Amino acid sequence: MENYTKYRLKSSEELSQALAGTDRIFVVSCNKCFKEFTVAEEPECGEFTALAETQGKTVTGAVRVDFLCNKAQTLRKLQDAVPAGTESVFVISCGLGIQTVAGMVQHPVFAAADTISRRGQHGMALTPKACDACAQCYLNVTGGICPVVDCSKSLLNGQCGGAKDGKCEVDPAKDCAWEKIQRRLEKLGRLEEFRAQPVQLRDYAKVNSKLISEYVRAVREKRLDGFYGGVHPSEHKELSEHADLVRFPEPDVVVIPLSMHAGKPADPLVKAGDRVRVGQKIGEQAGFISAPVHASVSGTVLAVEPRRHPVLGPGVLSVVIQNDKLGTLDESVQPHGDIEALSPEEIVGIVKDKGIVGMGGASFPAYVKLQPGKPIDAVLLNGCECEPMLTADHKVLLHYAGDVVYGLRAIMKAVGAPRGVIVIEDNKPDAIALLEEKTASYENIEVMAVRVKYPQGAEKMLIKRVLGRSVPSGGLPSDVGAVVSNVSSSKAIADAIRTGMPLIERVVCVTGDRVRTPGNYIVKVGTPFRQILDFCGGAPGDGVTVKMGGPMMGTPQTELDVPVVKAANGIVACETDQTAAAECIKCGRCADVCPMELSPLYFPKYVEAGNLQGLKEQNIMDCMECRCCEYICSSKIPLVTKIREGKAAVRGMK
Amino acid sequence: MLITKLKPKEDILSLLPEKVFVLQCHGCKEVSFPEGEAEELIRALLDAGRVTGMLTTDYICNPENLSLRLERRRAMLDEAEGVLALSCGVGVQTVSGAMDGKSVYAGCDTVRLPGFQGVTPLEYDCGQCGECYLSLTGGICPITACSKSLVNGQCGGAKDGRCEVDPDMECGWERILRRLEAVGRLDALKCPTQIRNFAAGADTSR
Amino acid sequence: MKITELFQRGEFVVSAEVGPPKGIHIDGLLEEAKAHLSGITAVNVTDNQSSVMRLGSLATCKALLDAGLTPIYQLTCRDRNRIALQSDILSAAMFGIENILCLTGDHTRLGDHPGAKPVFDLDSVSLLHTVCRLESGVDLGGNPLVGEPPKFAKGAVVSPCSDSVDAQLAKMERKVLAGCEFFQTQAVFEPEKFIAFMERAKQFGKPVQLGVIIPKGAAMCRYMNNNVAGVHVPDEMLNELAADKERAKAGITGVEIAARVIRECRPYCQGVHIMALGWESKVPALLEQAGI
Repeated sequence: MENYTKYRLKSSEELSQALAGTDRIFVVSCNKCFKEFTVAEEPECGEFTALAETQGKTVTGAVRVDFLCNKAQTLRKLQDAVPAGTESVFVISCGLGIQTVAGMVQHPVFAAADTISRRGQHGMALTPKACDACAQCYLNVTGGICPVVDCSKSLLNGQCGGAKDGKCEVDPAKDCAWEKIQRRLEKLGRLEEFRAQPVQLRDYAKVNSKLISEYVRAVREKRLDGFYGGVHPSEHKELSEHADLVRFPEPDVVVIPLSMHAGKPADPLVKAGDRVRVGQKIGEQAGFISAPVHASVSGTVLAVEPRRHPVLGPGVLSVVIQNDKLGTLDESVQPHGDIEALSPEEIVGIVKDKGIVGMGGASFPAYVKLQPGKPIDAVLLNGCECEPMLTADHKVLLHYAGDVVYGLRAIMKAVGAPRGVIVIEDNKPDAIALLEEKTASYENIEVMAVRVKYPQGAEKMLIKRVLGRSVPSGGLPSDVGAVVSNVSSSKAIADAIRTGMPLIERVVCVTGDRVRTPGNYIVKVGTPFRQILDFCGGAPGDGVTVKMGGPMMGTPQTELDVPVVKAANGIVACETDQTAAAECIKCGRCADVCPMELSPLYFPKYVEAGNLQGLKEQNIMDCMECRCCEYICSSKIPLVTKIREGKAAVRGMK
Repeated sequence: MLITKLKPKEDILSLLPEKVFVLQCHGCKEVSFPEGEAEELIRALLDAGRVTGMLTTDYICNPENLSLRLERRRAMLDEAEGVLALSCGVGVQTVSGAMDGKSVYAGCDTVRLPGFQGVTPLEYDCGQCGECYLSLTGGICPITACSKSLVNGQCGGAKDGRCEVDPDMECGWERILRRLEAVGRLDALKCPTQIRNFAAGADTSR
Repeated sequence: MKITELFQRGEFVVSAEVGPPKGIHIDGLLEEAKAHLSGITAVNVTDNQSSVMRLGSLATCKALLDAGLTPIYQLTCRDRNRIALQSDILSAAMFGIENILCLTGDHTRLGDHPGAKPVFDLDSVSLLHTVCRLESGVDLGGNPLVGEPPKFAKGAVVSPCSDSVDAQLAKMERKVLAGCEFFQTQAVFEPEKFIAFMERAKQFGKPVQLGVIIPKGAAMCRYMNNNVAGVHVPDEMLNELAADKERAKAGITGVEIAARVIRECRPYCQGVHIMALGWESKVPALLEQAGI
């Protein structure tokens, strides 16, 4: 791996000169980038501080910062860091870091390092190959060897007379680029083609500063839009967004896990041989953080036994029901009247009794959220569906807009919120228009269209984006006066109130490049994945990864004999990416995209070293496992797996 | 930060052999990739029956992962007479290095954005000149903030504080002067005449 | 003749400017210069002005010299690196050219070869420094010159009516420190601004030649106001030019305006530099009206 560190300390003569006019100095040093990542301290800061001290200078403080050029994070780190009485700030960094600091502090800033001069930019794997971004790629002329970077004179029309023994006249350690090009073209049989090329003239006006400055503005805006970081993976919503919402055929057998929620599994209320009806409670809530479970079909209980669960794995107690396909409704399924007639407590009671959980993925029992015990000024209904590919919530918005609004009103009443906001990403204009229409008559409900960005649908991000408030580390949305609910959950709450139907079915989006006919289905809880994928012409097998949920946060499935659970918003089958993890090159992209403003690069290092203190200091518990870091990681490090290990270790430490 | 622009479609089409394998790199897409235009080009090639296979992936500048990913598509690659790579120059060179006797065609031109790889682009840039001037200029880089990279002060071309080359750009030296004044370092202007050393850091450049 | 000698004698130095043609025939240029500019002290020859490619400044200087005029060799940093610049400076000295005006040069993007590589290896300040180095018998690389070193009157430019006067003065000071001996200014139409500028610039103790353009009409002035940095023609002058188109076209109004500017500024400067832009024939009349 090449070391592409961008700076080196200036000579001591030069530093002494710079130090001459000042006595009390503060030192900021960047922990370097684009080299093999180690957590060891870089030496320059110490060297410089020692030099300053031998010259009788007072060092008022020194900080070492990762990715000094990351403006947002550096601003946070340098806030109030420079002690009073400091006369000047010395920065050990490349030019980007020095300029970043100079733009932030009120003191004169001195460069204590020179940026290493190099022609061309390296890639995201630290190979010696580089690109000078000339805006007029010549690689088609030269068989894929860059004459701009590799030739010391950047000659475009062939070798100069200076090559000696195939080496460059400027640097005898370097191969003559045009010799390499000649050999490559010969090998490719493209010499004739090269001879026929017109004379190449470089156009230095190709680099358009306006285009660049506009790009930068747009990218930075996108990056910091609503909340820090985040990513924009290819959406591929087109695979399923035009498929109608249809009811999935009744399964012969359903497997209903007694654990489809965060917290304690439900206690079974039925045994093998029992007859059950649609909507009948078959599992009783087993604690405060728990939820009841209901039969999604009518028929006979075949077994109550451990089965594989799509998230929890094997051994989860489940109720297996032979479907008689009669759809006989349980007598408990009765309308509860209108919201107006219900008290907040009654609404909470219905939500609790009907087994409603967060359907966006986290499966947190909804009734708990509805008793925040703090004043709430806004309920945010999350219709972002920021996961790529998934279109389940989109379909819910389009087909059950009225129910979604009804559910929101119920939540608002339950928590006493004066304001409701339905947040939808702007890739769903039809849903935005429809919901605007449906909410027109409610003054206290608004629809907010937000620009697409993952993971906008995460509670904390949504609150930041819509309300501009930051949920404190370890805190809950209610700490900042907000309750967030998924649109599907809202629809389920509406059902529970209007028809008395518990949460026994949901909209599942079946999609991915390995699904022949992607679609959106209303699926009974307990329906096996295999049946659904078979129905959609999925081709699982070698080289295919099936996930429950979206491609970003979804849970990979090793076996398909797992049931649809309450949180199963999607079943995605995609080609498996074949990669091998490499060493971290400290590119900083993970820190750049982490919406929680963490530095994910440290987690694998500290997990491997068993440094639990380090993990805590890097706030590992704040990670919500959105996988942005892993998505962007150029070294393909399984960051989230490592983070989970780390979290488990930190939890065990307590 | 390297970003890519698609070359004119006609140029690419005239260059390619009959049968091609198409490789797209989305590694730096978070900043920019001409996704729509690339799709259009690929569609045209597909319609003409010229595509033997495709791979849309990321960081093709990583040779190990590139070959792991291409392995599954070996047959499609073998069938192709050339590979069309839609990526930055580093990517195209990496693919070229990985192909044995098969021509690789660059479908994109590469442009550099301020800020190094991996970093969200910044409004300011570092020219990697090897002899940092920021101490003398209040922390504003004269190499990149001035169109002419002047190191001894403003030229006569600034108008209304704007650069003569690009009226959208503020004159770097006006900014420097303001900054020096703000931090009380106007004395820096009295430094000796600066002459750039274009061989600075030559020992480490490659 | 070095124009610095004239400044030292307290003379009011008058120079004008010619632009080489885009081609190899300079008979016309020489005749114009001989006819209208032989009465003045020296003639500037521009160096691919506005980044538009033309016949070389050095060759034209030599031709003027041969024709009996005193050329001021303009040299920009846009097109040559320090090797070419030093080499051309030596060539100029060999031809007997004694006055040199060091400029940074307009950016390539503004001219007729926008795709050209902008060099800017040196800039106006470091170019002045380089000339001094050569005069001391050593080149920029630290190598001794063979034989007697060259000797020039070294000038530079400054833009007194620029909207960033502070930056201009800062740069002017750096030029002085680097060895500049005289200055020519960008065209001035606002004497009060020039006078205010000179109040601040006189601390450097270097002679300054007032830059003058004979305005050819209101349209030309508006163009300059919109496009030329550091040049601003006030509304009253625009109105004056617009009032009688025939008179303006004949150059009568323009010469009046330019002469007025010179008269107002004369007590504050040590000479004038006339950028006739093709109206070389009007220079004698201008000088007469200005009382020089």
